[in-house]
Amino acid sequence: MSDKIKILIVDDEVAFLESMARRLEIRGFDVRTATRGADALEIARSEQFDIALLDLKMPEMDGRQVLETLKKEDKYIEVVILTGHGSVDSAVDCTKLGAFGYLPKPYELDKLLDTLKDAYQAKMEKKFQANQELMKRITKLATGSSALAILRELKKVNDENLF
Amino acid sequence: MSTEKQPHSLKAETLPYKAEHYREWRRRQIVRMSITYLAPLIILIVYFHYRYIGIEAESRRMQLGAVAEHQANTLDLFLTERRLNLANLIDHPRFSIPPTSREMTEYLTDLKRISDAFVDLGFFDATGIQVTYAGPYPSLESRNYRDEVWFNALRRSEDNFVISDIYMGFRQQLHFTIAVSRIYESKLIVLRATLDPARMYEYIQSQQAAGDVITSIVNAKGRYQLVDDSIGRPLGPCPISVPVEQQYGGGTAETGRSKWQYAFRWLRNTDWCLIVKSVADTGTIFSNLQIRSMLVSAALLLISIAIILNRSKKLVSQQKRVDQTRAQLEHASKLASVGELAAGIAHEVNNPLAIITVESGLLMDYTDPQFGLTLEHSELRERLQTIQDSAFRCRDITLKLLRFVRRSDFDLKEHDIHKLIDGVIVGLLGKEIEVSDARVVCDYDRSLPQLTTDGNQLQQVILNIVNNARDAIAGKPGEINIATSRRGKSIVVSIQDNGSGMPPDVLEKLFVPFFTTKDVGKGTGLGLSVSYGIVRSLGGEIEVESIAGEGSTFRLVLPIKSKRSINRSRNNQ
Repeated sequence: MSDKIKILIVDDEVAFLESMARRLEIRGFDVRTATRGADALEIARSEQFDIALLDLKMPEMDGRQVLETLKKEDKYIEVVILTGHGSVDSAVDCTKLGAFGYLPKPYELDKLLDTLKDAYQAKMEKKFQANQELMKRITKLATGSSALAILRELKKVNDENLF
Repeated sequence: MSTEKQPHSLKAETLPYKAEHYREWRRRQIVRMSITYLAPLIILIVYFHYRYIGIEAESRRMQLGAVAEHQANTLDLFLTERRLNLANLIDHPRFSIPPTSREMTEYLTDLKRISDAFVDLGFFDATGIQVTYAGPYPSLESRNYRDEVWFNALRRSEDNFVISDIYMGFRQQLHFTIAVSRIYESKLIVLRATLDPARMYEYIQSQQAAGDVITSIVNAKGRYQLVDDSIGRPLGPCPISVPVEQQYGGGTAETGRSKWQYAFRWLRNTDWCLIVKSVADTGTIFSNLQIRSMLVSAALLLISIAIILNRSKKLVSQQKRVDQTRAQLEHASKLASVGELAAGIAHEVNNPLAIITVESGLLMDYTDPQFGLTLEHSELRERLQTIQDSAFRCRDITLKLLRFVRRSDFDLKEHDIHKLIDGVIVGLLGKEIEVSDARVVCDYDRSLPQLTTDGNQLQQVILNIVNNARDAIAGKPGEINIATSRRGKSIVVSIQDNGSGMPPDVLEKLFVPFFTTKDVGKGTGLGLSVSYGIVRSLGGEIEVESIAGEGSTFRLVLPIKSKRSINRSRNNQ
C-alpha cells in the first residue's frame, strides 16, 4: 500500500474526468475514475479510497445516491461534491447526507487542493479518534477482564469495522 | 427587469407587429364589416329601388290604360254621334229622295254646326253615283263610287253603316268616310259624309289628360290614321304592332334610342286602335321620388361606411392594446421559464467551462518546470481541441438561451414538425430529460407534410408542455410519449405522460394565467396560458385529457398552414 492519497473521481464528462485525474496524479495523488455511479461503487468496493469527488447530475444513478451508498459502505471515506448545478439547496442536502464539502464547477485547482487537504485531514482525524477509542477500549479490556470478555469485545470491534 | 424605470421604451418595444401589419389587419376588418353590414344594406336598397321602379311602371301603365280607355270611349262616342247625325238625316220624314243641292247644303250647314269635323255630304244611289253633293269639292258630284272600298263595305254591311279608314280618295286630301245606307223602294240609297281627321284629332287632344300623352290611331293594318307629327305621319307604318285579338292592353316599345311605354284600346265602331304613349321617356329620367330615395340610400351608405371606418380604427387600437398586453405577458412568461431553466442551463454552461479550466490547467502543469513533464504535440492539439469544443458548447447554449428569451414577431416558415420536437427534446431540454426520471418515447408519423408555422414559438409551447410532463412524472420512473399524426387539414402533436395527472378542478383552470400547482417560486402559472395563446394565434387548438393519478395527454392541433392576422384577430375576439 502506497502512502499516496487515494481519490475516486466520478463524472460523466470524460474530458473533464481524464484531465482532472491527470492533474491530480501530477500532484501526487493516486486517482481512479468512473463515468457512471454504478461503476464508481464497484471500484470503491474493490479498493479503499480516502476521498471521492462526485458529480451530482449523472444519468442513471445520480451523485446523491452514490454518496449515500459510499458513506454506508465506508464510514471513513470523505466525499466532495463537484457540480455545475449551482444551487445551494443541493449543497446543503449533500452535506446533510454526509458529504464533506461542495465545489461548484468550474473551480480553481488550488481550491480543490485545499478542500482535498482538509478532507484528508478530516478523514485522518476521524480515523485517529477511532483508533484512540479503540486503544482506550483495548486498554480497558486488557486491565482485568476475562478471556471471554476480551474475545467478545474484539468481535464487536471487528463488526464495527473499525480496522 | 425594472419596468418602473423605462415604461415608455418597454411599451414601444412590446408591440409585436409593424404598422404595416395593422394596416393590413384594418383592411381585412373593413372588408369583413363591409360584407356583414354594407352588403345587406346595398341588396336592400337595390331591391327596393327595383321594386319601386316596378310599382311606378305598373302605376304608369294603369294610368296610360285609363287614358286610353277614356280617349277610346270619347272617340267611339264621337263616331257614333256622327253616324247618328247622318242616320237622323236620312231617316227624317222630310228627307227627300234624292235631296236637292240646296237641301244638301242646308244639311251640311246643320252638320257643321254640330261638329266642325264634317267636310262634305253626298247622296248616292244604288249604282254608286253621287247624285247630290254639298261641300268644297263640287267636281265630285255625279262621280261613280261603285269601286270605292267604303261603298262596297257598306253594301256588305249588316249594320247599314260604315266608317272607313283614312284615305286620299279622288280629292287627294286626307279624309275618312262615314256612310249610312237605307233601302228605299227596294233600292239602296246612301248618305255619306266625309270628315277631317285633323279636326277629330284636335277634338281628342282637347280631352283631359291628353297633355301627358301622345295619342295615335292605327287601323287594322298597322297604318297610322291619326298621329302626332313628332312620332309619325298619317298612313305611315306604326312601329308598334298591336295584337288584334286583344281588346286592350299595353307594353313598352323602343323607337330609336328611347323606350316608350304605351297602352292601346280597340274602338267599337270601327277597326281602329287607339294608342297612347307617355310623353316621358321611361328609364332615363328619374322621378323626383326616385331621386329622393337614391339620396337617402346614398346617405345611409355613407353613414355606414363612416361607422365602419371609425369602428375599424377603434378595433385596431384595441387590437394593438391586446397584442401589447399579450406580448408583455409572453415576454414575462419567457423570462419566468428562463428562470426555471436557469439552473439547468447553468449546469449546461458550467460543465464545459469546467472542462476548459481543467484542460488549460493541465496544459499549464505541463509547462510548469517544477513537474518536469513533456508534452507530445498531438496531445497538445487534442487538449486545445477539447478546449475549443467546450467553448463552442457554451456558445451554443447561450445562443439557444438568447433565442428563447428574445421576443419575436410571428415568423411563419415551413418546418418539419419532427425536427422542431427533436430540437426541444434533444437541444433545449437534452440534459434535463436525460437526468430526469422520465423516458421520452417518440412515435412520429413520417408521412406528415411540412408545417407552415412559427418554429420558435411552437418550440416554446412544446417545451412548456414537455416540462410540465416531466414535472408530473418527477419522483418515479415514467414515460413521456410524443406522437404525431394527421387530422384533416391539421397536424396533431400528442404529448402524453403517465405522471401524476390532474383533478378536474385543476383541469378547469389549466389555461388561466398565473394559475399554478407548482411550489412558490417554481412555476409562474404563465407557461400554459401563453402556450395556449401562441397555439390559438397559429390557428390551432390545445386539447387536454387527464386522469388524476394516471397521467395527462396534451394534444396540439396545428393547422398545416397557419395564417397570420386572421387567426390573431379571431383569437382576440
